[in-house]
Amino acid sequence: MKTPAELMIERETRVSLGPVPRCLFGDPLGETTWQMLDDEFLLRGEGDHYFHYRKGFGITIDRGEDADLSEEALWLNGSVYGAVASLNGLVPIHASAVALGGRVFAFTGPAGAGKSTLVAALGDLGLPMFCDDTLVLDLSDPDRIICLPGHKRMKLRPDALELTGAVKQEEVSKTVDKVYALPSAGDVSFALPLACLVFLEEGNSLKVEPISGAERLRRLQDDHQTSQLYGAAQQLDRAGQFSHLSRLARQIDMAVFTRPRDVMRFKDGATVAASYIEKACQEP
Amino acid sequence: MTGIIKLTDRYTEAAIDDEIVVMRIDTGDFFALSGTAAVIWAMIDGQRDRMSIVAELIEQFDVSEREIQPQVGQFLHQLYQAGLIVQA
Repeated sequence: MKTPAELMIERETRVSLGPVPRCLFGDPLGETTWQMLDDEFLLRGEGDHYFHYRKGFGITIDRGEDADLSEEALWLNGSVYGAVASLNGLVPIHASAVALGGRVFAFTGPAGAGKSTLVAALGDLGLPMFCDDTLVLDLSDPDRIICLPGHKRMKLRPDALELTGAVKQEEVSKTVDKVYALPSAGDVSFALPLACLVFLEEGNSLKVEPISGAERLRRLQDDHQTSQLYGAAQQLDRAGQFSHLSRLARQIDMAVFTRPRDVMRFKDGATVAASYIEKACQEP
Repeated sequence: MTGIIKLTDRYTEAAIDDEIVVMRIDTGDFFALSGTAAVIWAMIDGQRDRMSIVAELIEQFDVSEREIQPQVGQFLHQLYQAGLIVQA
């Protein structure tokens, strides 16, 4: 059975085509910029390609003559989905995740850190994917953090596809050097509690180390892209943002996974990550 | 007795694990307090002065005055410099 948050996001992300405003305030939007005002979000993609969301009314797409339709799903599932989630009190985090033992293990890091590749490799080791690139958190229960199942298909670079055993699908778009991929162990399509958020880092050794205290808060602050959307949507001032991130820091177990970006040691890294997850599942 | 007062309108704080994180609201600067620093921070209540904090730490942690006095002085100075406390 779906949670109220899942039903809400399904309802709010329904899409229709039609005319949309060119700005919510001030001057008309430039390409690849967005505005948020009260319960509305407006994004302009490349050319005259606009995405407008208003709470309770869903998403309207305005396809101008020069709209690049191959980019539409990327905008829709990326910034637009993140904004809809944020305006409705859900928290998007830049992370890819797997599920095991009824809980979610998420990997985060900047673009190119290897989140999707690691999740694909964990699929090859039998762990189903939970989400790719964006993890949406439901904080409505004060005692635990629930993850909504991923809304995005897995995207991988061609070299990552070879490393991970994921099954190649079609190209993502004309401008993105990635293909859609099916993870080897399938995916999970129901909400689950979050077990751990793991930060990906490069280093010579292979290790997973827990992080605690203020370091958790500092790490969460680095997630600028999604923090910005949530902060704007909830109109958080600095103290409000601190309070929000403090709650996440208190309630989410976190770790750092250090590994070399060396193709020859990639499988070893995936094995270390899988062992960490399996061990965490055995703990009460 | 002249107590030390926290300037509560200037910061917000959160306990995460066994650390206290204090953030200056106007600048966003963070201060992570752990161990003795977190204990001293908790003792600053507008009533206690430096000497009473030192006396309580000696009793709680079985340390010498010579050992703890400079630590307390240094930490309070840092808090003062950070604009988080004043002397009443």
